[in-house]
Amino acid sequence: MSQGRRSARTQGEGERGRSVAAAALVGAAAMAAVDEIVFHQVLGWHHFFDRSTPAIGLLSDGLLHTAELLALVAGFVMWADLRRRRALSAAHASAGLLLGLGGFQLFDGLVNHKVLWLHQIRYGVPDLLPYDVAWNGAGLVLVAAGTVLAVRARRVGRRAQPGTRTGPDAGPDTDQEEIHR
Amino acid sequence: MTPGHAHQAGPEAAQLPALCLVVLAAAVYLMAAHRLRRRGSAWSWTWQASFITGAVLLAVALTLPVPAGPFTSHMSRHLLAGMVAPVLLVLGRPLRLALRVLRPSRVRRAVLAVVHSRPAGWMVSPAVAVVLDMGGLWLLYRTPLLAASGHHGWLHAVVHMHVVVAGTLFAFAVCQVEPVRRRWSLPWRAGALLVGGAAHAVLAKTLYATPPPGTAFAAPDLRAGAQLMYYGGDAVELALAAVVAAQWYAVTGRAHRRAFRRARRRTTAAPGPAPVT
Repeated sequence: MSQGRRSARTQGEGERGRSVAAAALVGAAAMAAVDEIVFHQVLGWHHFFDRSTPAIGLLSDGLLHTAELLALVAGFVMWADLRRRRALSAAHASAGLLLGLGGFQLFDGLVNHKVLWLHQIRYGVPDLLPYDVAWNGAGLVLVAAGTVLAVRARRVGRRAQPGTRTGPDAGPDTDQEEIHR
Repeated sequence: MTPGHAHQAGPEAAQLPALCLVVLAAAVYLMAAHRLRRRGSAWSWTWQASFITGAVLLAVALTLPVPAGPFTSHMSRHLLAGMVAPVLLVLGRPLRLALRVLRPSRVRRAVLAVVHSRPAGWMVSPAVAVVLDMGGLWLLYRTPLLAASGHHGWLHAVVHMHVVVAGTLFAFAVCQVEPVRRRWSLPWRAGALLVGGAAHAVLAKTLYATPPPGTAFAAPDLRAGAQLMYYGGDAVELALAAVVAAQWYAVTGRAHRRAFRRARRRTTAAPGPAPVT
């Protein structure tokens, strides 16, 4: 596969991007799983299917749900690939994880609950607002924390390896040697 | 149609031949694997276990009664026979086994001709397989087909056969572990998984609210069956995605090792600037 060859060549910035992406995929899927397990199954607050859902909402829900499952697997296998090549940037990965967790939470709270009207957080309560505020507030906090970590990881990375931005052949050649014996 | 009808009209007529077919398939597989090993060739025990487990699950789905409402029991059979068993059967690589165990002969040439034919190539393409599998499922639950299959034994048999065959086709196209005419790239197979999974999930959610036309299942039964379909489909989807991901992991690993070996050869041949690898 051509992907493998490309990532072997671009060790510097590209691998950081992949670290963020892999962790973000896992994070988004993990938050989706928490939503499914805690709010649908354990608490029983969400409804499996709210009959007021329009057809387009149902379709987008089906696509999103399936994409989450695929994202979980894709994220893990990308992460395993980075680990195997010792190309995983831990700082970037933790930033990506938080961004994925918070991003999904926000998307679920704003698009799924409010725009597509798939289902609400809780039924039979007089006022939904506190629930919505708490839900989206938690998402915002996670995204903010992820952003802070991402900025910090980028700054630290730049200070540690000033050469990586000009040429991909700077540091990790010795690393490669160890892995591919 | 009375509840439970769907599984009282057909099975008596079609159950026995279908069961015989499953047992026969398992026996032929075991014999072929045994012959191959006696010849001194290796045949993976994992693949064999996978195929036999798939056959056993198929037999279970055909025969054992499920202690649940009629729709839920119908759905659990479909899940077993149309989704779980096909994945296991496909991972047992029966075609690869057949091609390895058959000596050059008319039979082997015929098998190869069918496998390499253009129509077969199209059938096992991810796009066609997903349409055949999910299209059939939507027809079954969103037209009066399910109600009609309760009244005609032959239709019932055809519907169930289609569920098993289409499920196998889908797993075959996504896993792509057999030697066929054309290899489909990762995006195609992941796309088929995404579309197929979404079509399955949406159908399950609509079944939760409205029963198939012409049937009258009790609401709790319908809801339990629909949720079983939804979450059971998720499990199979995850398993298929894991198979595809493991293949990707193996292929990229080989590519990395190749790239590294090439780079090292270049360094030893021409000592100069470090290779960009």
